[in-house]
Amino acid sequence: MSKRLYVTPYRCIDCKVCEQACSLANTPVPGVPARPRVQSFKVDDQNNFVLLCLQCDEPSCQAVCPVGALERNPETGAIEVNDKCIGCGFCVRACPFGCMDYDDTHNEYIKCDVCKGDPACAKYCPTGALVWSDKPWTDQEAEEYAKKKSSDPFTIALEMTKK
Amino acid sequence: MISGNGKPFGSPQALLERAEAIRTERKAIKQEIRVCAGPGCIARGAKDIHKQFQSEIKSHAKELKAAGLELDATLSEKCTGCHGMCEAGPVVTLEPEGTFYTGVKPRDAKKIVEKTLLHDQLVDPLLYELGHQRGGGKAERYTDIPFYSLQVRVALRNVGVVDPTNFDDFLAEGGFKAFAKAVSEMTPEAVIDQVEESGLRGRGGAGFSTGRKWRGALRVKKDRVWLICNGDEGDPGAFMDRAIMEGDPYSVLEGMMIAAYALGATDAYIYVRHEYPLAVEHLQLAIDKLHTAGLLGDNILGTGMTLNIRISRGGGAFVCGESSALMRSLEGKVGEPRAKYVRSVEKGLHDEPTVLNNVETFTCVPAIIDKGAGWFASMGRDKSKGTKAFSLVGKVKHTGLIEVPMGRTLREIIYDIGGGIIDDRPFKAVQTGGPSGGCLPADKLDLPVDFDTLSRAGAMMGSGGMIVMDDHTCMVDVAKYFINFLIGESCGKCVPCREGLRQVYDLLDKITKGEGEDGDIEKIEKLCHTMEVASLCALGKSAPYPVTSTLKYFRDEYEEHIQNKVCRAGVCPSLIMYEINEDCTGCDICARHCPTEAITGIKKKMYTIDPEKCISCGICKSVCKFDAVDIKSGDKIVSRDAVA
Amino acid sequence: MSEAKTNETVHLTIDGREVDAPKGAMILDVARGMGIDVPSLCAHPGLEPFGACRLCVVEIQKPGWDDWYKQLVTSCLYPVEEGLKVWTDSDEVRQNRSVVLDLQMARVPESDYIRELGRQYGVEKTSYAERDTKDTCIMCTICVRACEAIGRSAIATLSRGPDKYVDVPNKDACIGCLVCASLCPTDAIPFTANDNGKRRIWDKEFDLVTDERTGEVLGTPEYLAHVQKRAEGNGLVWPETLKQESAKVKRYEYARKLSRVADVEDRLADEAK
Ligand SMILES: Cc1cc2nc3c(=O)[nH]c(=O)nc-3n(C[C@H](O)[C@H](O)[C@H](O)COP(=O)(O)O)c2cc1C
Ligand code: SF4
Ligand code: SF4
Ligand code: SF4
Ligand code: SF4
Ligand code: FES
Ligand code: FES
Repeated sequence: MSKRLYVTPYRCIDCKVCEQACSLANTPVPGVPARPRVQSFKVDDQNNFVLLCLQCDEPSCQAVCPVGALERNPETGAIEVNDKCIGCGFCVRACPFGCMDYDDTHNEYIKCDVCKGDPACAKYCPTGALVWSDKPWTDQEAEEYAKKKSSDPFTIALEMTKK
Repeated sequence: MISGNGKPFGSPQALLERAEAIRTERKAIKQEIRVCAGPGCIARGAKDIHKQFQSEIKSHAKELKAAGLELDATLSEKCTGCHGMCEAGPVVTLEPEGTFYTGVKPRDAKKIVEKTLLHDQLVDPLLYELGHQRGGGKAERYTDIPFYSLQVRVALRNVGVVDPTNFDDFLAEGGFKAFAKAVSEMTPEAVIDQVEESGLRGRGGAGFSTGRKWRGALRVKKDRVWLICNGDEGDPGAFMDRAIMEGDPYSVLEGMMIAAYALGATDAYIYVRHEYPLAVEHLQLAIDKLHTAGLLGDNILGTGMTLNIRISRGGGAFVCGESSALMRSLEGKVGEPRAKYVRSVEKGLHDEPTVLNNVETFTCVPAIIDKGAGWFASMGRDKSKGTKAFSLVGKVKHTGLIEVPMGRTLREIIYDIGGGIIDDRPFKAVQTGGPSGGCLPADKLDLPVDFDTLSRAGAMMGSGGMIVMDDHTCMVDVAKYFINFLIGESCGKCVPCREGLRQVYDLLDKITKGEGEDGDIEKIEKLCHTMEVASLCALGKSAPYPVTSTLKYFRDEYEEHIQNKVCRAGVCPSLIMYEINEDCTGCDICARHCPTEAITGIKKKMYTIDPEKCISCGICKSVCKFDAVDIKSGDKIVSRDAVA
Repeated sequence: MSEAKTNETVHLTIDGREVDAPKGAMILDVARGMGIDVPSLCAHPGLEPFGACRLCVVEIQKPGWDDWYKQLVTSCLYPVEEGLKVWTDSDEVRQNRSVVLDLQMARVPESDYIRELGRQYGVEKTSYAERDTKDTCIMCTICVRACEAIGRSAIATLSRGPDKYVDVPNKDACIGCLVCASLCPTDAIPFTANDNGKRRIWDKEFDLVTDERTGEVLGTPEYLAHVQKRAEGNGLVWPETLKQESAKVKRYEYARKLSRVADVEDRLADEAK
């Protein structure tokens, strides 16, 4: 069974590390962060949330795209924006979850493509709220993982630029 | 009367029998009057002549009957398509004698009925003046006129012979014999074999083997093959296809029907140039007739074959005649060409296999099927078989529509058929192949006219336009003229054609204005090269030919314009001066006409032109009765006699 | 858009490098896929190839041709063939590209983009007569094809030959999406994206709809209606709430809904222990 990005919102501490990692991993211009394809935020006093593209079975974005710029990558199962995109923004309107977006810095229509099979967000998420795995983690697995993981954004940024 | 009893023909046999019956019936006709109702003659009143004949025949009915001539029984009077000698029109011929009357006026109908029909006398003033040809005198019948006697008419076989609105007429001339033969005796494969063996090459421009094209489409296994007849004919001055569509619509349709049989096509289009309403009318009439006669629609002649032919009217642009642009236009899109890396026999109209041929090409097909591939291939030379229709225009004595076997020399066409250059001036060049063709000089006059020889010489066959030029023609100006025409016709899609034409025109214009500089010729050559290799469609690719061919054969004239500021033909206004010579009688007429009052003088003494005021309009020269106005370019007098 | 892809591949050589490419793919795309820089002005991967700019020309030789014989073809329109040899940067290619760019520079003397491209092919200044104009349209028709692709066809090329130009014969159809203007390689289409809540393009003025909560501009009402119609035509449900929400607000709304669900699941999971 191939890997998926599993999201467990209640583990999210809204540290925004995923966003940061995504920004840096996906920018077309190194050093100029892109708009993240993932977002973490507080929903209310008790709950945080982390949201990224659900890679729907019947994606609305794909259904409205007039030029076939949204295609599923058979290897990752993710819907990707390819170079056919003409920037009409229909997909942004159509996605019910707000997961299609426009990056006005780089003038690009963006969405999560699970980093072509190596998602930066999961790699750096300190709590296991985002994992790239073939099954969801148990709380125990997540806790063990969190102990080893740094959540310092600077360390992360440094690590990423080295790569 | 359709099939004799008003019902559709149930079999090829029934059709042939009916044709035979018409011929037998018509044996009784002793005299036939054919009034040319081609575009030229109509413009000069042919319809009134026809009406006048009808009424004269009525009012002379008694006398005619006494002479054994009764309208619609033993005497027939009809309108036909163009006879080809439009400049001498309106034309009326009398059969079976072949009497050829030119410049006929409605009032002449009376004379012709009274003198020729009733008393076997010729109406002398209406006879064609042979001039210096054949020892001069008047031609009693058209076979005496070299213009006709040297022609061989295959595509034009019925034009000027049949009444294009009369199905029976066409049947009587052997129409649909070939179609009947194809569907009853030949397999589709055998039809294609015949067409291929005949060596027929497309008459629309590129000269691609018709048989090979058809076979190519047959090889693509698809449910549907579209058939298109290209009747767009955008070349200015060309009217071969028009003459055929207007004068012999049934032959075009028969050719398409044979092609449809061979290809299994059930849907066909004829794309007719916007400016040809009469062609549309005659074709539509013919299509309707063929439906009622069981020759179009379902179960044609009881054979199970289905074919529908629709007419589509062209968008009017020259480039719409290009096959891929034409198909776009038929699809209801902008008539712009597409690159042809995928052949249209594979992906043409609606991306389905499509066979597109020219009107003249289709019209040759029934003749080939009827008389055999060998007969057709016996005419012509090398890889160009059969005959080709040309429209001969320009500074030639007899302009008009002609058809000759391939391989006749330019000299034979221009001098023997065309009668030579007007006023017997020196021949300078002939432009063949339509607006984007090439100009050939006098030392190429003995080239045989066929596809390959012409292209080797830097010209092309194109659709068969031929423009003859005399020594009063400036070749730089000619190139500029054609480039200007092409600017108006370029679709504007691709850069080399759209921008290149504009810049070539600019450079030529500069040269004709005497502002040419060193390096301009090389700049033009570089640009022409890119247009030729990098344009999208054949229009752009061939657009430089008028320039490259004149540069090839008349380079010295370009150089003269640039270096010496001389136009030896006396054409380019900025490079010429008008001067009055010693033949001036001081009549004052020039001075009175000059719009800028540049001419002064004392009456009865020699006048002079003030070059500062002269705008080179040439009015003085055209009004002078004594040939006393010269055109000078540089220090040379380039033209002494009156400009036509 | 290239033809329906099959699994068949063909083997060819581009600039001396061998490559297997899917049958039906165009030379331009295959060459670019190999990292070869082929210039183009009218090609856009999402739009039908058009073949107008002639900048993408390359030289080819088919198997069996005489060694000296090559042909110039348009790489954006020429499908790869078995055994084909392609040169993307030969002298002949460069010479014709430079003439084409020289012509474009004369057409749009004010375009920096074209001037820069010309420089790359050794054309500093056009050798031809410059048009006296500020217009920078190079007639690539990307705008026209894009407007057609999104289902509006508001703009079109009018006239022909050197007089050809892009205009808006079908003004009513324009929804002010700005796709045309944003794709134009030479910024030839003037527009105002947002001037006090108004948008202007093609001589037409539009209102703008904004997300109430973030103030983000979502587009013109005509644009939103068009997307909705298109989506519904494709069988998508289009809840009223989605209509005027920015991506960000959509995310928050969804999270609010979902976290409650997560809560419920949580408790059920606890109970099960
Ligand atoms: C600019 C241009 C104009 C053309 N115009 C005509 C035309 O008016 N009639 C025609 O038959 N072919 C015309 N052609 C040639 C057609 O593209 C095509 O080759 C031809 O109709 C094929 O028929 P054929 O094989 O019977 O000649 C034109 C080609 C070009 C490039
Ligand atoms: S913005 Fe791009 S990906 Fe989104 S619908 Fe438009 S063309 Fe497709
Ligand atoms: S060569 Fe001329 S006519 Fe042909 S596509 Fe290009 S611009 Fe149009
Ligand atoms: S306006 Fe821009 S996109 Fe449209 S044809 Fe002109 S250059 Fe191309
Ligand atoms: S702004 Fe108007 S013309 Fe431009 S692409 Fe959108 S609908 Fe078409
Ligand atoms: S129209 Fe009568 S001869 Fe041509
Ligand atoms: S990109 Fe191929 S012609 Fe413009």
